Amino acid sequence: MRRTWTLTLIVSGLALMAISYFGLAAPWGADSVANSNPRMPFAPLVFVVGVMLLFGSAIVYELYGRAPRGGGEE
Amino acid sequence: MATTQPIHHRELAPQEMLGRSRIWTLVMGLAVIGLVLGIVSYARELTGGMVVTGMRDVGIGGGATWGLYVAFLIYMMGVSFAGITIAAMIRLLKLEQLRPVGRIAEILSVVAVVLGGLAIIVDLGQPLRGLVNLFRYARPQSPFFGTFTLVLAGYGFASLVYLYLGSRRDAAVLAERPGRLQWLHRFVASGYSDTPEERERHDRASFWLAVGIVPLLVVASSTLGFVFGLQIGRPGWFSALQAPAFVTLAGVSGVGLVIVLAALVRHAEHRSDVLTPAVFAWLGKLMLGLLFVYVYFMAVELVTATYAGSEADADITAALLTGTYAPIFWTSVAFLVVPLGLLVYAALAKRWSIGMLTAVSVLVNLGALGKRYLIVVPSQTHGTLLPYGEGSYTPALVEYGVVLGLVALGVLMIGAFMKALPVIELQREEEVGQDA
Repeated sequence: MRRTWTLTLIVSGLALMAISYFGLAAPWGADSVANSNPRMPFAPLVFVVGVMLLFGSAIVYELYGRAPRGGGEE
Repeated sequence: MATTQPIHHRELAPQEMLGRSRIWTLVMGLAVIGLVLGIVSYARELTGGMVVTGMRDVGIGGGATWGLYVAFLIYMMGVSFAGITIAAMIRLLKLEQLRPVGRIAEILSVVAVVLGGLAIIVDLGQPLRGLVNLFRYARPQSPFFGTFTLVLAGYGFASLVYLYLGSRRDAAVLAERPGRLQWLHRFVASGYSDTPEERERHDRASFWLAVGIVPLLVVASSTLGFVFGLQIGRPGWFSALQAPAFVTLAGVSGVGLVIVLAALVRHAEHRSDVLTPAVFAWLGKLMLGLLFVYVYFMAVELVTATYAGSEADADITAALLTGTYAPIFWTSVAFLVVPLGLLVYAALAKRWSIGMLTAVSVLVNLGALGKRYLIVVPSQTHGTLLPYGEGSYTPALVEYGVVLGLVALGVLMIGAFMKALPVIELQREEEVGQDA
């Protein structure tokens, strides 16, 4: 389960980054004022969440299934 | 279940080591005063508006909209870059000699990102509006997008994760001892018990974190250089060398601050057993290489601008070499070139004195601050392509106060960490045995 959760977070983070960057933010190559706003508001925030999920996966990998205090795992 | 490795008798908990340090208390006291001054200055800026600063519109306003705050931000981002790079390299290249400064570099990185982020906020007349709209409207095509998403969110968060995971083992060791901070140590340890499986898992996670961080760092830091280097309408900024020079000077100032901090820790915590002259020599050689490359970039840029630059480029270069900015420029150059000479001498003579390296590190950081200021300001006051007259910018007292407050906050954060957790990894019993 540890690996599953970690990989899920990594894939989700990368997916959010890619989708927000290429799909939700202002379109690439379009320099008209009409296209200057993102296609979805707060697309940059989605990108940031993706970055945090990606690196946060390391915490899940290390802490998943830990005992509350000083114990071993699972 | 394995039990936590016992703390070695030579090593005390951080609060025990620093509890007796008058220097630490004095520095923290001064930092609190500095922080209060900073808060008062920022309150004055918030209530009086940006007009209380020395910043004015570019061109028609005859000033600069990016001043001391942005120079400080770039400096801090550079320090952060170098801090986490050192930490990641120690892990990836297995640089065991530098392991004692690994956590110092990680702390520096986290603190520098926080200070850099705050420097942006104080630079905004309407901070809340700026923060909300950035996350709402920022365009991926803009280097600013990369600056905020990759630099602040990316390696800010990555550095924090790296620091947290690396601190768990020491926190678990300290959590076994009763004391006022036991709850904090337990919280940070989060159940860590130093079993072989946990060590292996931590090593694997740290390795992959480092693998992820290094390319992110290069892209993110280059992006910060692109904020300036891609502005075709701003002579002095538009240059292919901006990004690599940014990264190189970042390395110089960051390594310098790691040396200064390591020297302070060595003195305050009496850790000459771990922070040996060999560690400082290693850092000194690294700084020498980076400084050499940066001075080369600086010379290339100057030759290009003076030999074949446009009229606007020539104006800015004249302002730097002989005009308004000459005192800052030549002082900064001296603060970079003289240390380079000293480091070359140290390398040739194979004498890496800690005192000399600390002095050199302070100088290169002052030089780097000056260079950051000169990257930001002159192109705004002397680099307009429209027919405006020369502008000027002098930071107001409010700006100095705010920057002083930010520095003080950084000192307090580092000081608080030093009190709570070891800034040098505690050694395992078997490691102590190997060292002996």
